[in-house]
Amino acid sequence: MIQLENITKVYQTKVIETTALDNINIEVPEGEFLSIMGPSGCGKSTLLNIMGMIDEPTTGQVTVAGKLVGNYHSKATARFRNEQLGFIFQSFHLINELSVIDNVELPLIYRKVSGKQRRQMAEAALTQVGLSNRMKHFPSQLSGGQKQRVAIARAIVGQPRIILADEPTGNLDSAMGNEIMDILMRLNQEQGTTIVMVTHDETMARKTHRLVRLFDGQQVS
Amino acid sequence: MFSSYFKLAIKVLGRHRFFTFISLFGISFTLMILMVTTSFLETELGSHPPLTEKDRMVLLPRLIMKQMVTDTTWSVDTTMLDGQPAYDSTFTVGKKRQNSYSSSSLSYSFLDRYMRDIPGAEAHSFFCSDTQFDIFINGKKLNFKTLYSDATYWEIFDFKFLAGRPFQPSEVERQVQVAVLSRKAAVDYFGTTEQVVGRSIEMDGKQLEVIGIVEQPSNSKDYVTSEVYLPLTLMSGSALTETGFHGPFAAVFLAESPQARATIVESIRQKADRIPLPNPEDYNKLELMPATVIGLYAYYMMPVQDDPEGALQMFTLVAIGLMLLFILLPTLNLINLNISRAMERSAEIGVRKAFGAHSGSILAQLVFENVVLTFLGGILGWLFALALIYLVNDSQVLGDTQLQFNTAVFLYSLLICLVFGILSGLLPAYRMSKLHIVNAIKFNNL
Repeated sequence: MIQLENITKVYQTKVIETTALDNINIEVPEGEFLSIMGPSGCGKSTLLNIMGMIDEPTTGQVTVAGKLVGNYHSKATARFRNEQLGFIFQSFHLINELSVIDNVELPLIYRKVSGKQRRQMAEAALTQVGLSNRMKHFPSQLSGGQKQRVAIARAIVGQPRIILADEPTGNLDSAMGNEIMDILMRLNQEQGTTIVMVTHDETMARKTHRLVRLFDGQQVS
Repeated sequence: MFSSYFKLAIKVLGRHRFFTFISLFGISFTLMILMVTTSFLETELGSHPPLTEKDRMVLLPRLIMKQMVTDTTWSVDTTMLDGQPAYDSTFTVGKKRQNSYSSSSLSYSFLDRYMRDIPGAEAHSFFCSDTQFDIFINGKKLNFKTLYSDATYWEIFDFKFLAGRPFQPSEVERQVQVAVLSRKAAVDYFGTTEQVVGRSIEMDGKQLEVIGIVEQPSNSKDYVTSEVYLPLTLMSGSALTETGFHGPFAAVFLAESPQARATIVESIRQKADRIPLPNPEDYNKLELMPATVIGLYAYYMMPVQDDPEGALQMFTLVAIGLMLLFILLPTLNLINLNISRAMERSAEIGVRKAFGAHSGSILAQLVFENVVLTFLGGILGWLFALALIYLVNDSQVLGDTQLQFNTAVFLYSLLICLVFGILSGLLPAYRMSKLHIVNAIKFNNL
C-alpha cells in the first residue's frame, strides 16, 4: 500500500546541513497497522509526512496506493490525498470556530458531495467513534480524548484506504489513549484500513502488527 | 462549500473583535465616501429630467475672440566693407501668439444669425439664464433667478411639470406675459404649489400669469436651474436686438442621436472660421466653444481654458485617480491586517491542505471570507451613506443639488465592495495558499 525506496531528507540552511532521514526503505502492505518509534528528532514525523505526501523527500521514491508520487503540489495530488489518506495529529488540529460535525465534514468539502450527503457521512463517522451526541458542540467544549475522536472521525469520514496518525495518544492520559487505540485497531481489523502510527509509547506500539524503529534518521529495526 | 466558508467567515470575525472593528470601520468609511461621491456624480451627470436626453445635447455657452499676432524678429549686422560701414538685416517670422482675448456668453442676434441651421441638429433653443429679480411680497424680499427662453427649450429639456404647461411658440412670438415657476418659487411666492396656475406674479414691472409649475432640477447646472422661466421676448432693453457678438445668451442643440453630436460640434467650430469679424483690428480670430453636458460640467470644475473636452479628460483622470487613491489606502491597510489575520490561521490552512484542499480552494476561501467582511462593511457604509446624504440634503450645503440614493448608485457600491474585497484579500490569500503544509501545521494556533 505504501512503498518508500531509498528515502533521504536533508534540511539545508546557509550554514548547516541536517539529515533527517537517511536511506529509508519501508513497505507497508495493505491492511497493516504499522507503528514507528524512536527518540525525539529522529525523523519519525518527517517519515510520516513523506508517506502522506505532505512533505517531499530530497531523494528516493514514494509509491502510495499504487501511485508513484510525482508533483507534490499539484491539484491531482491534493485530490489523491483527499480520497486515499486520512490524517490524525497529536494536537488534534480541529478548527475551533466550527462545530464538531462541521469539522468532520471538512475533507468532504473538497469532493463533489452534496451538503445532505456530507452531513450523513459525518454523522456516521461520529457515530463510529461514539460521539453522535456531541455533533453540535464546539471543540472547546470537549475533553482531549473527545477531540481526538473527532479528529479520527474527520480522518475516516472520506473512507480513506490509509490513515496516518502522528502521536495520536501523545496528548492524552492512558485511559483516553487506550480508547483512541481501540478505535484505531477496530478500524484496522473491521475495515481493513492501513494505518501508520508514530508513537513514543512502547505499549501502544506493541499493539500494532509491526514496529519500525528510527534513530538519527536511520531505520534500526 | 461556500456555506461552510460563510459560516467560518462569520466566526473568524468574532475571533479578534478589535481587528474586525478596524477593518469594518475602514471599509464602511471608505465606501460611505465613495457611495456619496457616486451619488453626487449620478445626480449631477446622470440622465434625469430635465436632462434625460443629455447624451444628445450640445451646448454652446461661450464665444471667444482673440487677436493673434505673429512674432517677427529683425536683426541688423554691421560690418566694414571697403573701409565703409555696411549693414545687413535679416528677419525671422515666428509662431502666432495670442495678443488679446475676450470670452463671454453670446448675443441673441449672433445666435439668430449664425446658429439656426446647424447640420445634425434636430432642434435648437436659445436662452438666457443669468438674470435675477428681487420681488417683494408681504414685506418679504425674494430673489428669483430667471431664465428666458424660446418655446423649443421645453422640448429639449424634459422638465417634470407638477401643474400646467410650458409656454407655446405663439406666446413667445406675441410676447404674452406668462411664466413657468419652479416648485420652490411657487412655494416661496404663493405658499403652495396647489392651484397656482392661473394666478399672477408681479416681476420686473409686469403682471405675469403663471401657466405651469415644474419640479426643481436636482443639479447645479445653470442652464436648467432657475426659479422663474419666461419667454425670451419679455426681456427688457436691447437684449434681443444688440448686434454685437457678446451677450447674455447660450444655445442648446439636440442631435438626432448621441453619435450625431460630433457633427454638431464640428459644424459649429467650422462655422466660427467663416463668420466675418466686426473689428478685425481688435480681434482677428473667433472661436466657439460647443460642449457636451458632461464636458461643460468638467469645464467649470477644471482649470482648462476654452476646452471642455480637454477639461473632461482631466476631470476623468482626476476623478479616477482620487477614487483609486481612496480605495488603495484602506486596501493596503486591509491587506496588512489580513496578512496578520491569515498568518494566525496557518495551522488551519495546513490541515485543510492535508485533507485535500489545493491552493486554489484556499485562495477562494480566503478571498470569499474577505468579500463577506467587505460586504458587511458595505452594509454599514450604505447605512452611513444614507445618513450622510440625508444630512447633506437637509443642510442644503450643495444648493439645489439633492443627492439621491438610487439603484444605480447601489449597484456601483456593490461593485465597489466586490473590487475592494477581492483586492484586499487576494495578496494575503495568495501568500497563505502557497504555504507549505508541514510548515503551516507547525503553527499550532487552532
